[in-house]
Amino acid sequence: MTAAIWQYILGGVADGAIFALVAAGFVLIYQVTGIINFAQGEFVMIGGMTAATLAGAGVPLGAAALLAVLVAAAVGAAAYLLAIRPARAATGVTLIFITLGLDVALRGLALFVWGTNPLSLPAFSSGAAIRIFGGAIPPQTLWVLLTDAVVFTALTVFFRRTYAGTAVRAAVANPQIASTFGIPLRTFAFLSFVVAAAIGGLGGVVITPNLGGMQYDSGLTYGLAGFVAAVLGGLESLPGALLGGFLLGIVEHLAGGLLSTGWEQGIGFLILVLVLVARPQGLLGRRARRA
Amino acid sequence: MEAAVRSWKAGCGGRPVSANAKRNPLRISDGAYGRIALVVLAAVAVAVWFLPSYYTGLLTLVGIYSLVTIGLNLFMGYAGQVSLGQAAFVGIGAYTSAVLAVYLHLTPWLGMVGGALAAAIVAYVLSFVALRLRENLLALATLALGIVINVVFNEWEFIGGSSGFKGIEGFTLGSFTFDPRAYAILSWALVALGIWFAGNLVRAGFGRALIAISAGELGAQALGVDALRLKRQTFVLSAVYAGIAGAVYASYQSYIDPSSFSFLLSVNFVLMSVIGGLRSLWGAVVGAAIVVALGQLLLIVVPIVLPSARGDFQQFFLGAILVAILIFSPRGITGWRAEPSRA
Repeated sequence: MTAAIWQYILGGVADGAIFALVAAGFVLIYQVTGIINFAQGEFVMIGGMTAATLAGAGVPLGAAALLAVLVAAAVGAAAYLLAIRPARAATGVTLIFITLGLDVALRGLALFVWGTNPLSLPAFSSGAAIRIFGGAIPPQTLWVLLTDAVVFTALTVFFRRTYAGTAVRAAVANPQIASTFGIPLRTFAFLSFVVAAAIGGLGGVVITPNLGGMQYDSGLTYGLAGFVAAVLGGLESLPGALLGGFLLGIVEHLAGGLLSTGWEQGIGFLILVLVLVARPQGLLGRRARRA
Repeated sequence: MEAAVRSWKAGCGGRPVSANAKRNPLRISDGAYGRIALVVLAAVAVAVWFLPSYYTGLLTLVGIYSLVTIGLNLFMGYAGQVSLGQAAFVGIGAYTSAVLAVYLHLTPWLGMVGGALAAAIVAYVLSFVALRLRENLLALATLALGIVINVVFNEWEFIGGSSGFKGIEGFTLGSFTFDPRAYAILSWALVALGIWFAGNLVRAGFGRALIAISAGELGAQALGVDALRLKRQTFVLSAVYAGIAGAVYASYQSYIDPSSFSFLLSVNFVLMSVIGGLRSLWGAVVGAAIVVALGQLLLIVVPIVLPSARGDFQQFFLGAILVAILIFSPRGITGWRAEPSRA
């Protein structure tokens, strides 16, 4: 029994790592623009599908991965320029509808490009499953964890150690004054969508070998899990996104293993509701923000 | 930020009076909602005798979807809230009616009442959780609740688990068992009734109070509107619309399973609501009709252009239309003329 539970936890860590990446994208966009981007999960799908398509066509894995991230970033840029920027005068609820429409449109677009067949990608490194105290994880999971480490370190360094990152934080704290000081809010908003899309795309690339296959509607699952992780962590906190992601992954796998597969997805949303009611600022959030 | 400044300026300038007059959602004169609804119902009742049965089926679906969307428009359009879990209430209505029919052999007419009641009770309980939240968080909470309810459908063996219910009893009237034509007329009779009822509500003080809430909850409360109570009533009412629609759907299809009431259906209701026009009751019907008709049209057209296309590819166009509408005509198809120009 304990062995099984340990294995669930290890499986949860693998899933949690990818949830954390999606949550990081949410947090980035929400911090900079106050928008909850319901389309965030689709970038995971776009990254994974693009890499799988390219690798299937004979492109070396590294190049396929890089190109996939660039494609995801480009789609993110296009989405911002076509859907978000023209509506920037809109209020909160309208922006929710817009990103929801974006999500639906991107999923439909993926159907045109890739059809309904799942695509798979070979693992980055060969080798047997890695055993940890009797449990096992596929080697690819280490790549996912490495990606987490790189992305979260890079974001933290950017926000804490660079001038541009400080400017973004200033803009978040007080947009009006930041704007007066010549901080380009719109450029930041644009970049937040591009970087979040790239992070999502990268997540899709590294997780696809762990899946049976990525398909056009896989993004929805990651998007929804990403929300839950982001809200758990407080929507505005990068460490919170990391914590929320892993917590969600582990809880989901435990529920899936101990209760039923149906609750594997349901439990996260149940927790989300509880968190929204009891602690809307999340586990690591500081204050409720009106956005 | 500029937008905020701009709207602030508009608020202080001379424009708002005329803008408000144009925005006035009460411009349909007294009684018109009921009369138009009767005309539409009569048109449907005539049309079903001439339409091929396939289109009669589509007409029925549009009616059922319209009913849900009318309720959603009260909650989202008039009260300015957001619900991404409306499909769950449709499911509760459908499952309640199915349980009453399969286990207790009750007529779907009672199932409809039971479905509406069950949806109302669940909405009332959930309102204590959800309605304290606003905008983004309300969207996430309703989304999450919708998915949790769907998991319950899936996991609860008493209501059929993942395989759902088969052979749900159809509507009867005396010795007459409903055929597809009768279902089309029934669903549109309910739409007419729903529009008439909602029309009376939005014309009355209730509707004005909802609009006040959507303009600003604090301001509405300052004017003596009990915002939380009204939001709760509207949420429950929207669930009643959805529950009735679900009960009709269950008997019409005679088969339901949890996948019929997934998050994607909730998203479709949002598409209908926004495309038709959030703050418009007829917008709900127009939106439902457009989403269904466009889906059918694309199913015919797209394979000609792109033979390899399959699946729900029409979603791409619906999503794109939704974004375009929100950018160019935030009041939806039915509201495009009333949109005041943005200075």
